[in-house]
Amino acid sequence: MSKSLSTPQNILDRSDQLRRALDGDFRDQVVSSLYGEAQRIAERAVRRDSSNKWDLDQRIDRIVTSPVFGLPMMILILAAIFWVTILGANYPSAMIASALFSLEHQAALLFESWGVPDWITGFLWHGVFRGLAWVVSVMLPPMAIFFPMFTILEDLGYLPRVAFNMDWLFRKAGAHGKQALSMAMGFGCNAAGIIATRVIDSPRERLIAILTNNFVPCNGRFPTLIMLATIFVAVDFPPVFASIAAAGAVVGVVLIGVVFTLLSSWMLAQTMLQGEASAFTLELPPYRRPSILRILYTSLIDRTIFVLGRAVMTAIPAGAVIWILANIEAGGTSLAQHVASFLDPLGYAIGLDGVILLAYVIAIPANEIVVPTLMMVYLGADLMTELTSFDEIRALLVDQQGWTLLTAVNLMLFSVLHNPCATTILTIWRETRSARWTTIGALMPLIFAFVVTFLVATLWRALV
Amino acid sequence: MSQMPSSQSDRNCTSCSVHAHLAQMGVSIGHYDYLVALAGNPNTGKSSVFNALTGLKQHVGNWTGKTVTRAEGGYQLQGKNYKLVDLPGTYSLLSASQDEEIARNFLLFGRPDCTIVVVDATALERNLNLVLQVLEITEKVVVCVNLMDEAGRKGLEVDTRALSRDLGVPAIPTVARTKEGLHELARTAAGVISGEIETKAKRAQPPHEVQKALDELIPMIDAFAPGLPNARWVAFRLLDGDHKVRQALLSGELATIEAAQTTTDERFSRAISIHGSQ
Amino acid sequence: MENSWTSWLFLIALAVVALLFWPKTGLFVAISRWRELRRRERFEDALKHILAWEQRRQDATPESIGGALGLVQSSALSLVADMEERDLIHSTGGALKLTAEGQRLALHVVRAHRLWERYLADDAGVPMERLHRAAEKAEHQLSSERIDALDAHLGHPERDPHGDPIPRADGSLEKDNAVPLTDWPVADIAWVTHIEDEPDVIFHQILSTGLRPGKSVRVIENTPECLVIDDGVQEHRLVPVVAANIQVAAEPVNTERPVGLRSLSELAKGEAAEVVELGSMCRGFSRRRLLDLGITPGTRIEASLDNPFGDPRAFRLRGTVIALRKDQGDQIWVRSIGEKTTTKDLSASDCYTNPEEIKRTAENAAQGISEA
Ligand SMILES: Nc1nc2c(ncn2[C@@H]2O[C@H](COP(=O)(O)OP(=O)(O)OP(=O)(O)O)[C@@H](O)[C@H]2O)c(=O)[nH]1
Ligand SMILES: [Mg+2]
Repeated sequence: MSKSLSTPQNILDRSDQLRRALDGDFRDQVVSSLYGEAQRIAERAVRRDSSNKWDLDQRIDRIVTSPVFGLPMMILILAAIFWVTILGANYPSAMIASALFSLEHQAALLFESWGVPDWITGFLWHGVFRGLAWVVSVMLPPMAIFFPMFTILEDLGYLPRVAFNMDWLFRKAGAHGKQALSMAMGFGCNAAGIIATRVIDSPRERLIAILTNNFVPCNGRFPTLIMLATIFVAVDFPPVFASIAAAGAVVGVVLIGVVFTLLSSWMLAQTMLQGEASAFTLELPPYRRPSILRILYTSLIDRTIFVLGRAVMTAIPAGAVIWILANIEAGGTSLAQHVASFLDPLGYAIGLDGVILLAYVIAIPANEIVVPTLMMVYLGADLMTELTSFDEIRALLVDQQGWTLLTAVNLMLFSVLHNPCATTILTIWRETRSARWTTIGALMPLIFAFVVTFLVATLWRALV
Repeated sequence: MSQMPSSQSDRNCTSCSVHAHLAQMGVSIGHYDYLVALAGNPNTGKSSVFNALTGLKQHVGNWTGKTVTRAEGGYQLQGKNYKLVDLPGTYSLLSASQDEEIARNFLLFGRPDCTIVVVDATALERNLNLVLQVLEITEKVVVCVNLMDEAGRKGLEVDTRALSRDLGVPAIPTVARTKEGLHELARTAAGVISGEIETKAKRAQPPHEVQKALDELIPMIDAFAPGLPNARWVAFRLLDGDHKVRQALLSGELATIEAAQTTTDERFSRAISIHGSQ
Repeated sequence: MENSWTSWLFLIALAVVALLFWPKTGLFVAISRWRELRRRERFEDALKHILAWEQRRQDATPESIGGALGLVQSSALSLVADMEERDLIHSTGGALKLTAEGQRLALHVVRAHRLWERYLADDAGVPMERLHRAAEKAEHQLSSERIDALDAHLGHPERDPHGDPIPRADGSLEKDNAVPLTDWPVADIAWVTHIEDEPDVIFHQILSTGLRPGKSVRVIENTPECLVIDDGVQEHRLVPVVAANIQVAAEPVNTERPVGLRSLSELAKGEAAEVVELGSMCRGFSRRRLLDLGITPGTRIEASLDNPFGDPRAFRLRGTVIALRKDQGDQIWVRSIGEKTTTKDLSASDCYTNPEEIKRTAENAAQGISEA
């Protein structure tokens, strides 16, 4: 008898019956009783000082989330971080560049004196090594300054406040406020940002966050932005304000990225990912004193070196490819020139040029190598030019390659909007397991980039 | 620091950086004797405890949901190797968002030898809710009362002895940032695993009606699957309509499913711990 | 020149042919698949219709199917013939009955429909008025495995958001324990499940009171002459013949504000209150999450922060600060600390204050019935 009573089916049926018989929600009752118990235990274990020291946190929060200061403060903090980054990175960048390029020069001479064939020297030093030198000098200083500062913000507990302030906007766009958290992670690396979307509970809103994360310029891209801002925006200002102007330009581009995040979230929520905003529960943790040593460690060793390592790993083969493209000739011009002139009409239409597009194609594995690729293709076989300062780079781009302010503006826009890098695409695939969403995640930004830059270029040419 | 149950000599030791017997082993956890899980509410310092014990550099941040995947590391204590698993924070074992599910599945099906529940000393009430839920599943629990420095700053005095007594499992005060109390924590976990420290988990008394339903279901489950470690918990889940547990019961595989789950999870987390930080 | 034209034409023709006839993805295959799908949807809709009528103890006819599905007579007839051929229904003298298989299928569709509504309402927060149309589509696309998983995920709900019972996996349907309002005990909260739409006069009389399915009412007084109910806004007096046409059941899904309580959203900044309950519209994942965060009855909660846009707001409870959106705050009922909720005093003698009106209502009702 008892045997027949406890078949699995019987147990299930009985549990179903019992559940139905319970009045009210089972979950409600259980959680309430758990919390009741927790409260009793906590009351016995905790003694409270009469002086209430909660207030400092709350006072800070009232300012940080206030209607007047809340949003401007967010932008100011971001601007300050970029400003310090630009200011601090300028000089070390030039130093690293001149050191590495002189090393390249010396080594090439040494190889020559040993009688090593020209093409080996060229391939190794002017190809592979030069790509690497560019990546290190352009990437390392900004990252080494940006990451620790950003991590301090994270450790303080400021990020949840950003999500809190922004939720209303995201909600209007049909998305979730915690998307701000994943976007913040996206400044480090879009792939990390996409993984961070797991904090969003609702699948629909999480998907939106995944697909639009790319509009945050990751560390592989903002050195490009910084360089352009310094070369093209800052020069028109007196030296004292130059770095501030550059920071302002970078923040402007980042804000454009945010606008496009909201816009594309809204478009997705209207079309493919229709639905209502779901629940939003966000804990605002108390502010905590950042532990500086650990921050330096994680942001320098873990993040900077890790990301740089990845960039170097792609820069080496890319450097080799570029060298080959630039040095193998067909019909009197190099392969690189052939490809670039093939891409030129398209590049012109969107205010850029063929070489820039070629650089973006080569940089699909990692955005970090856009600038190095550009430089190497522009310089071509010209081995003598050494570009160690922004002034020299400016001379090359403006005087020799005919860049204008339009080129700079559109390149900045393109840099924020264009397709995600290969790692990011792979991460989208891993997180969604869907070829469809991965394709959309890769192509939607690209279409945005082309459309926006095309419109800007056309208008610019019509008006200026 | 209100109550440090450890002796004076211990405290001296934990404040110096070289621990007498505690050795950090990083990710080199090919062979381990015991498996220890780190669970807790989000943002209570689990990853900080993990880093301090293993010497790894799992990313830490002051917002809920910093850790969204499992990370593994190891430490050595008195000649034994321990594998430590850092889990994403979870408010509860009842609902399931994706990161929470990772934590929940590991606690339920990963069968750790000991579970360290890291709680925030400044918000004990909320944290104890989860502790009580974990205690429903397993008795092999150590409560790590972290952020004791913050509690002091806010004028809260936490009596961990009272807490231990009420919960029936050891509660250790710690400051993960400065590694205060972590040696004691590791030793206590070892004691709980070896049985040296006896635990008698507090079970929250459910409402009368629920208790009656449980009383009816538990004997049925026991009769069907004698030797199941926690029939009460299975009964709870059935009353809540947990799809997974229902399936497992129907297929008669309550035990085997747990095993399968562990291996797939392990492969997944292994990849993550090798690829480093997220 | 000529040559290249012809070869272009040939290529285009080839492409068109491929587009049309490609196996699995060609246009023809797609069209026929789409038509097959449409046909299944019609079958299922028709089965649902017959089931609904059977439950009301009425016989469905080809005409009623045509009316419900918007089909002309001839296509309704051929649909019925088709279904008969497939042994889903059989007709006896014009009345259509479901076979066992037909019944199973119909219940499956109803189950899918109602569970999906439940899901949309609970987990996706879709507003009430949009549920039905969304579920009309989804009901034809859900496999039974997915439905079962959904059922478990939602915690085996008994009823859909409109209050209709959800068929269980084994096909059993909770007996609709709705009773006429006249049989409802005094002072208990009743929940309107159904209003008889015939006879017309009574139906309109009921509608004019503002009562609708889904509203909750409290019976204040029940005598053979007069039934006094309170719908939370005002009191209504109904003659028993009218009240008998209102079906009510126990499960109160009250979207209305509980008497004397404020919602969390209404707290001023810095004000503290005590949680009384989570509204019944707050369900599914959202409800579970709020409970897990410690928003349980009796919890002290304080409005702590507004953000630049005013939504979400942050609340302090159990030593933590949690931000919630306004529509969640609207579902959490609180009262000032130390305050007891007072239920409205209702005196029964009200019923007799205006005997004239009662008489008029009774006469109207009687007249309506005799006309019908
Ligand atoms: N003052 C103080 N801060 C601590 C302590 N332990 C951790 N923290 C800080 O608390 C924050 C959260 O720490 P984490 O280790 O990331 O917390 P977690 O539990 O892993 O969080 P999730 O991964 O989101 O679940 C970080 O900013 C830590 O620096 C402590 O004992 N004292
Ligand atoms: Mg963590």
